[in-house]
Amino acid sequence: MLNYVWLGLVIIGVLTAAGNDIYDAATNRYRNGDQFEVQYDSTSGNAGTVVYGTRYFDKFYDVNLESSNGSNVPDTMKFSASLNDNTMQIKLSDTTPSLWETIAKTAGDDKQITATVVKRMGTSLFILLPTTSLVKTKAVLDAVISYSSTAVEIALGLIGVMAFWLGIMKLAEESGLIKIIARMMRPIMTKIFPDIPPDHPAIGAMIMNVAANMLGLNNAATPLGLKAMEELDKLNPKKGTASNAMVVFLAINTAGLTLIPATAIAIRAALGSKDPTVILMTSFFGAGLATIAGIAAAKILQRLKAYRIEEPASEGSGGEEK
Amino acid sequence: MIKEILGALSIVAIPLIVAGFVVYAAKKKVPVYESFVSGAKEGFAVAVKIIPYLVAMLVAIGIFRASGAMDILVGALSPIAHLIGMPPEVLPMAILRPLSGSGSLGLMADIMKRYGPDSFIGILVSTMYGSSETTFYVIAVYFGAVNVYRTRHAVAAGLIADAVGMLGALLICKILFG
Repeated sequence: MLNYVWLGLVIIGVLTAAGNDIYDAATNRYRNGDQFEVQYDSTSGNAGTVVYGTRYFDKFYDVNLESSNGSNVPDTMKFSASLNDNTMQIKLSDTTPSLWETIAKTAGDDKQITATVVKRMGTSLFILLPTTSLVKTKAVLDAVISYSSTAVEIALGLIGVMAFWLGIMKLAEESGLIKIIARMMRPIMTKIFPDIPPDHPAIGAMIMNVAANMLGLNNAATPLGLKAMEELDKLNPKKGTASNAMVVFLAINTAGLTLIPATAIAIRAALGSKDPTVILMTSFFGAGLATIAGIAAAKILQRLKAYRIEEPASEGSGGEEK
Repeated sequence: MIKEILGALSIVAIPLIVAGFVVYAAKKKVPVYESFVSGAKEGFAVAVKIIPYLVAMLVAIGIFRASGAMDILVGALSPIAHLIGMPPEVLPMAILRPLSGSGSLGLMADIMKRYGPDSFIGILVSTMYGSSETTFYVIAVYFGAVNVYRTRHAVAAGLIADAVGMLGALLICKILFG
């Protein structure tokens, strides 16, 4: 199924990008070649401010800033800028319309727009913004490059904590501690993972992983989870194909049950929430339901024909690809 | 009270676990330094092993997001969201959460900045973020580490868990804050 999901993401992505770009070109969304009128106030030397009416912008681009930005948009837009001969550079700020941000980004600059001054009438300047086309295609290209290196950064960033926790786990394994932990949780684990011997190291590693997740220790959870996968793979009769136990374990992990959703709380606090931890209970509820649903889904789906490992042509219940 | 205990627990947990494990191993006469190093040695190999899986997954998701397909998907799903009483503002979150961790983090911050962290939408969106994990990342990394590429029903089970998590978040927020 991952094959189809992957293919779908890539194909839909590329086609949508092409479609969007063709549509933008056909409607001249970025008004290439049209002169935009601004008021320019010179403050000192080359520096100054650029002002234009929000209504004018809306009419020029046939958009509605009010509705797309949600909240109150001022009547006039004001940005700092600099003017050298016929080249004007308009600084981007928080209030810059997203359309202009896109124009700047596509031109390869995320701090300012470089425009050409065509005509001057008193304080009124008529400017030409950089020609903008193939916006989405360029964005896709950027995404390919930046996400590939992000993937490598993430993986390499794991090396340190990975090594540390694998070392600790080795100690726990050789001292027999993992078996003791596994034995404590035996009643639950034998129900969820009937195929795994109850004192197998995989059980201990999975318990450690879930415990780390519960405590919000993401740094520890991933290495412990990978250790658990390694142990599960030792019991996997068909290498390269996920075992039932692996899928159940994955489902538990993708539900992300935690007592402390630390990241969300931190962001809430940073944004000035009066009660950042109000989501403790709500997200525990949500993730708890997700965990139960994930385990149940894994258990039910593993019986479907489409997902069964071997096909012993019996009790055929047609499995639908999701 | 519970909050303080949980907060303290998450700080002292690692030092306690590490100290406990090392002491216990020493008591059992395990050569601690030697066996720690022999375990840690595998760290590099595991991290390198997941690179191709992670590149494949993140690039595909990156293409999908950059193309603007997200907006179309949001538009297509908004009638369903309306039907179950989900505010349209948080719909992108429900879609992005399983796909991208950093993306949904940014989106959560953005939505809370716009509507306020203590508004219904702010609480809902952060609950949604906390109610799930980045399914596709987990699948790529965990299966990548053991070179499993036929993932069978893992994606389906993960996405069902995500959907239930999102609906659960909506339900509990409606009951408590709606």
